[in-house]
Amino acid sequence: MSEPKSRREVFLKLGFGAGVAALGAQAVASLRSLVPNVSYDAPTTVKLGMPLDFPDGMKFLPDERLFVFREGKTFHAVSAVCTHLGCTVRAEALSQPVTKTVRGVPLRMTHRFLCPCHGSKYEGDGTNVAGPAPKPLTWYFLSLAPDDGQLVVDLALPVGQDFRFTLV
Amino acid sequence: MEKRTDSPYPKIDRPVLAAVGVLLVISCALFAWSDRKHDWRYYQAEFKRRVADKLGSEKAKQVRPGLQQIWVADLKRADRCITCHQAALWRGFETDEEPLRTHSPAPFKNHPVEKYGCTSCHGGQGYAVDAAEAHGPIEHWEEPVLGKTLGEAYSLVDDKSAAMQMNCNICHRYDRETKGADAINLGKKLVVEKGCRACHVVNGRGGTIGPDLTFVGEKAAEQYEYGRLSGQKTSFAWHVAHFKDPRALVPDTVMPNFHFSTKEAQALSMLVLSWKKAPAPADYRPGTPRTDPQTQAEVEAEQRMKTGPGAWFVKTGCFVCHSIQALGVKSPAQIGPDLSNAVEDVQSRFGRTLDDFLREPTGTMSVVLSRQIVLSPEEKAVAIGKLREAFAEYQKQKAEEAKGRRPATSVSSSH
Amino acid sequence: MSSTSKAPATSGKDTPLEAPGVHAKPLWSVKPASDREAGDAVVSNFLLHWFPAKTYKPSLDWNYSFWLGTASAALLLLLTVSGLPLLFLYVPSVERAYGSVKDIEYVITFGFWIRAVHRLAAHLMVAVVFLHMVRVFLTGAYKNGRGQGQKREWNWVLGVGLLLSTLLLSFTGYLLPWDQLAYWAITVGTNIASSVPFVGPTIRELLLGGRAIDQATLIRFYVLHVIALPAAIGVLFLYHMWRVRKDGGLARADGAMLLPEKAAEAPSKTKTYTLLGVARGTSPAVKASTLERPETTVNSIPDLTRRIAIVVLGIFAVVSIASVFYHAPLEEPANALVTPNPAKAPWYFLWLQEIVTDTTVKIGSFTINGAFLGGVLLPGALVLLMTVWPWLDKSAPGSAGVWFPNDRRTQNIVFLLFVAFVLVLTFIGTFCRGPYWHLYWPWEAWPELPTRI
Repeated sequence: MSEPKSRREVFLKLGFGAGVAALGAQAVASLRSLVPNVSYDAPTTVKLGMPLDFPDGMKFLPDERLFVFREGKTFHAVSAVCTHLGCTVRAEALSQPVTKTVRGVPLRMTHRFLCPCHGSKYEGDGTNVAGPAPKPLTWYFLSLAPDDGQLVVDLALPVGQDFRFTLV
Repeated sequence: MEKRTDSPYPKIDRPVLAAVGVLLVISCALFAWSDRKHDWRYYQAEFKRRVADKLGSEKAKQVRPGLQQIWVADLKRADRCITCHQAALWRGFETDEEPLRTHSPAPFKNHPVEKYGCTSCHGGQGYAVDAAEAHGPIEHWEEPVLGKTLGEAYSLVDDKSAAMQMNCNICHRYDRETKGADAINLGKKLVVEKGCRACHVVNGRGGTIGPDLTFVGEKAAEQYEYGRLSGQKTSFAWHVAHFKDPRALVPDTVMPNFHFSTKEAQALSMLVLSWKKAPAPADYRPGTPRTDPQTQAEVEAEQRMKTGPGAWFVKTGCFVCHSIQALGVKSPAQIGPDLSNAVEDVQSRFGRTLDDFLREPTGTMSVVLSRQIVLSPEEKAVAIGKLREAFAEYQKQKAEEAKGRRPATSVSSSH
Repeated sequence: MSSTSKAPATSGKDTPLEAPGVHAKPLWSVKPASDREAGDAVVSNFLLHWFPAKTYKPSLDWNYSFWLGTASAALLLLLTVSGLPLLFLYVPSVERAYGSVKDIEYVITFGFWIRAVHRLAAHLMVAVVFLHMVRVFLTGAYKNGRGQGQKREWNWVLGVGLLLSTLLLSFTGYLLPWDQLAYWAITVGTNIASSVPFVGPTIRELLLGGRAIDQATLIRFYVLHVIALPAAIGVLFLYHMWRVRKDGGLARADGAMLLPEKAAEAPSKTKTYTLLGVARGTSPAVKASTLERPETTVNSIPDLTRRIAIVVLGIFAVVSIASVFYHAPLEEPANALVTPNPAKAPWYFLWLQEIVTDTTVKIGSFTINGAFLGGVLLPGALVLLMTVWPWLDKSAPGSAGVWFPNDRRTQNIVFLLFVAFVLVLTFIGTFCRGPYWHLYWPWEAWPELPTRI
């Protein structure tokens, strides 16, 4: 007599459990719909224009939030996104350019960067020197577009501060 | 048992509650007042009075009461300016003072207010209904009305209301010259004279020594370097100072000092600030092509048809459907038959003479000749005459072709 | 007191209706003629049902609770009521949100006033809820006193939930106008979330509905602001009130226990209606001895209800009047290309922004982002500490519901120092921070910020 009863109990529990699990799965399914699968981002590889069109010195590209520096034939690009909380930093021209050797490569710095949100300060090479910024401004990879020779930045590919793109 | 426990606080609480009630009543009075106090109510009443005085009380009834708005869906502009400036769209108040003055009618001819609103030209804040907020600048709406007040603040030379031309040139940037935009025209003249394009890209064309200026009007105000600029810290002031002496603001610049006068520097500053990305629909921008461009060959062919022996058929529009090979007319559509041999073709198709058919056409031609191409009897006579000429030419060509075919083919086959 | 000497006036008339469950005035009794009638009103009226028939007299003192809880509830009510018309007027779309708020400001009749009421009430509610928490802490009102079956510590936990809901509601509402303030508040706020190790970026993506701040973000914050969080705060609020009743009213009401027992008082019919007693789980007869004695209690109607009316209507009146003169700010339309300078969080988050500014720690070459330390760890630890504090507080039950009792002196001083710390940082953030987050005196002029024209 005890055998069928316990079996009935098992079935009962199984049925009840299955019901609860199914309800839970439905709840999870509707919550899963809120996790985005695609993002309406700007593309990360952006053509910036012909390299020779860039002025010597610094050019700020607001759409990409990027500073592009040119010195003759060498280029490098520094992000304008503060590493603290993502505000856009402003470039401030130095009264006197400073040359600093970063990772063994000399860099002529014409600007420094200030964040309006929490007062972070960065040197011309992007190194954080004051305020809450936890790390230097990101440098991004530059290359030439194979089709039309425009300067291309890859905003998904950070590079070191010794990176230079040189035209040949 | 049925006792009533009294409050320990009745003496204070009741009058306090009463006072709260009074405050509530006061608050109602206050927000009702705050809605009534707007200046536009005064201006509307005053305008209505003036309309009644000048044009009679019957006209005064047409003065619309309440908030007024021009909504331009194309430009996403909701301009409430006419709530106070009602007179702008009326006639007869040319000599009154603002905001009760008639707008000069000339700009409306090409810029109807229902298509452009007010702020696309005048600037300011179209959302607002009070003068201070609408005319600006106020905190958080830094673009003021581009009018005399601004011009005086900048001590613009000659025309104090020239600042508005900046907005004209957002659409008119590719014009060589824009009527009524003298300052901008001066700026454009200087761009050509001084050869700005030697170093700068202007409107998509020019050198690359200096920065690309195509959309320099979009540059945010705080992106300029104000360290060496005294006085107002605005993009406009920066450009004026920079045009007058580039090296004073940017010491290591290679831009030469052109020794611009104040007027020229101001004109150029307005010009460069007008170089903005204008997200206006195509039909708002002058110079936008509305047709496919024709090739040179197509243009020449059309010109030949217009001056050749078939010109009459081109002028009347017959050529839309009919070619007349014999007269050098080629229809772009060629819906109908070639009219070169119309004289015999009509006979064979309809069993009627050409004269008869044209006098009383049937089928498609009856519709075309009664609605689209209405010809007088005299014109029909001309048509018949010309078609006879065409037929004569057709027969001549055919005869020549028959004659020339044999030698021609022999020549080609010999090669 | 004097009540005993006063003869009941109209008792005779009610006689035919005196059967249990039959109530002479089913809806309202603004001026009850007797204690019986006062109790009846509470039992039979839906709105009054959450009050006890009788209230411990000192609980009503202005200078004990400052009525901050009632004030919070009044502001919540005002926010709900003023939010309803805004729900019809505001358009949660990136293209139209800003324009619809401009419409509310400029062309909708009384629109600016409704928006100002909503804005002002929201600011006030954050402040009042915070002060309410301070009061509850200082009086040790989260402590279980002498009553039976009390679980006041859990009501404190609910209160922490209510404080957080209030802050979140305020923050989500901040974003809806889609102006510069909104856009950069989302940027900063969600970047704080993404500074959490490992799961941070995923959290940020969930909040934004993608990796970019766009329509998906606006609709998420909109739904949170108008449905999810109001529902949460509504449930928590009702639960909070229910617990107040279950725990025997304000902590101060425990003081009634300290009164000398009065020996024999004949049980009276009113006891049937003393819900307070029922709720406390003791038999009506026991409890009635102190809590129902005329010298310690008053009728909830009208003495409690009148004071509630004063607080609620008073707040309505003050906010309403102030809103005529206060203009809710609206900045430039959101612009992803320009960060405003300075970019400030709402004032009640400025102490956090100050901390976030100062807490990037460098240990050798290893750096801990201030955003994580100051924006996540520190507030998280504070909330956790606050939540469990009632279990850490080992002071005697007698110090519940008393201002500055001796055996809670140390923790009160530490708590007050912390409150002062928060207030000072808030003050600095609000009044002393200028462009580039530089320090300026409040009376010092900021350097001129450039404009276009």
